[in-house]
Amino acid sequence: LVVNSIRERTITENSMVILLQGLQGEVTTVDLRNESTARGRVVNVDAFMNIRLEDVLYRDRRGQLTQLQDLFITGRNIRYVHIPDHMDIMKTIESQLAKIHRVRNFGSEGGGRKEFAKKTK
Amino acid sequence: MVLLKNLQPPTEGVRHEQAETTAVMDGQRLGCGTLYVAETRLSWFDSSGLGFSLEYPSIGLHAISRDVSAYPQEHLYVMVNGKLNSEKAADDDDDDHDGSSDEIRFVPSDKAALESMFSAMCECQALHPDPEDDDSDNDFEGEEYDVEEAEHGHADIPTFYTCDEGLSALTQEGQATLERLEGMLAQSVAQQYHMAGVRTEETKAEFEDGMEVDTAAMEAGQFEDADVEHW
Repeated sequence: LVVNSIRERTITENSMVILLQGLQGEVTTVDLRNESTARGRVVNVDAFMNIRLEDVLYRDRRGQLTQLQDLFITGRNIRYVHIPDHMDIMKTIESQLAKIHRVRNFGSEGGGRKEFAKKTK
Repeated sequence: MVLLKNLQPPTEGVRHEQAETTAVMDGQRLGCGTLYVAETRLSWFDSSGLGFSLEYPSIGLHAISRDVSAYPQEHLYVMVNGKLNSEKAADDDDDDHDGSSDEIRFVPSDKAALESMFSAMCECQALHPDPEDDDSDNDFEGEEYDVEEAEHGHADIPTFYTCDEGLSALTQEGQATLERLEGMLAQSVAQQYHMAGVRTEETKAEFEDGMEVDTAAMEAGQFEDADVEHW
């Protein structure tokens, strides 16, 4: 479950992290700054580029392979995230933006999150 | 990070506590103790009260390892940035110091607890985003950028104009909208009605027919997500 504070949504809307969030469910490779790599299915990417993968094949700096059931990589430690060739990058970004807009406009139909309701004076 | 000193286990913000957990640091078994996954830091203490704690910003990654061919027991794997022991750095000659990192394994006796331990760490890690961001644009103090404007090709135009530059940049629609909204504002001032969050340069389809908008409905519906406090 992605926790979306206003701040996180705003960061996401204005950076390429939004593309990475569209990778949810895809199998991809993440290159870490320490020269290791992790290949697995993307479970979640948050606004700070922390990435959670599952069913991972992790290769450390020396080339040693390990299987990991779940892996959480801190955004700070990521060098590259490979975008699968079959993915349409623009479409992915557009559909992710649309999801954010649906969340934002949901409140205008009378429902939605109460913490955004205007306070009456 | 402090190694094996007499510290107190955290009492607040403990998302997960796992007893009967062996800590293994860089291959060295430290014994059996309790792991505390707290919002402020990750710590482990053995029965005599000796232990260590880790700050989340120093943690590079964490994982559940069930691969017994790589390591004989299922455990929570934590990779720490930089060297744990500054003395060790001198001895280690096969690591290049740029990518140096150290491994800690937490081996619980209850293997089923690994998922909870992992999830608790994910939650706590997310509470400590990296302050040294490459992207200097992350400074959003609650005012949201208008993505629709960017999408409609007005990306270079600032959201708010000074009076002179603004009037000349308005389209006919924009001019009509401005006049109508100014009229509404004048009305609302007269009625001592407080309207916050109005973006006068935005043209929305529902306003184009020139109908009088019920301002009460507009308040309740239109800007649900605007952070009113900042105006």
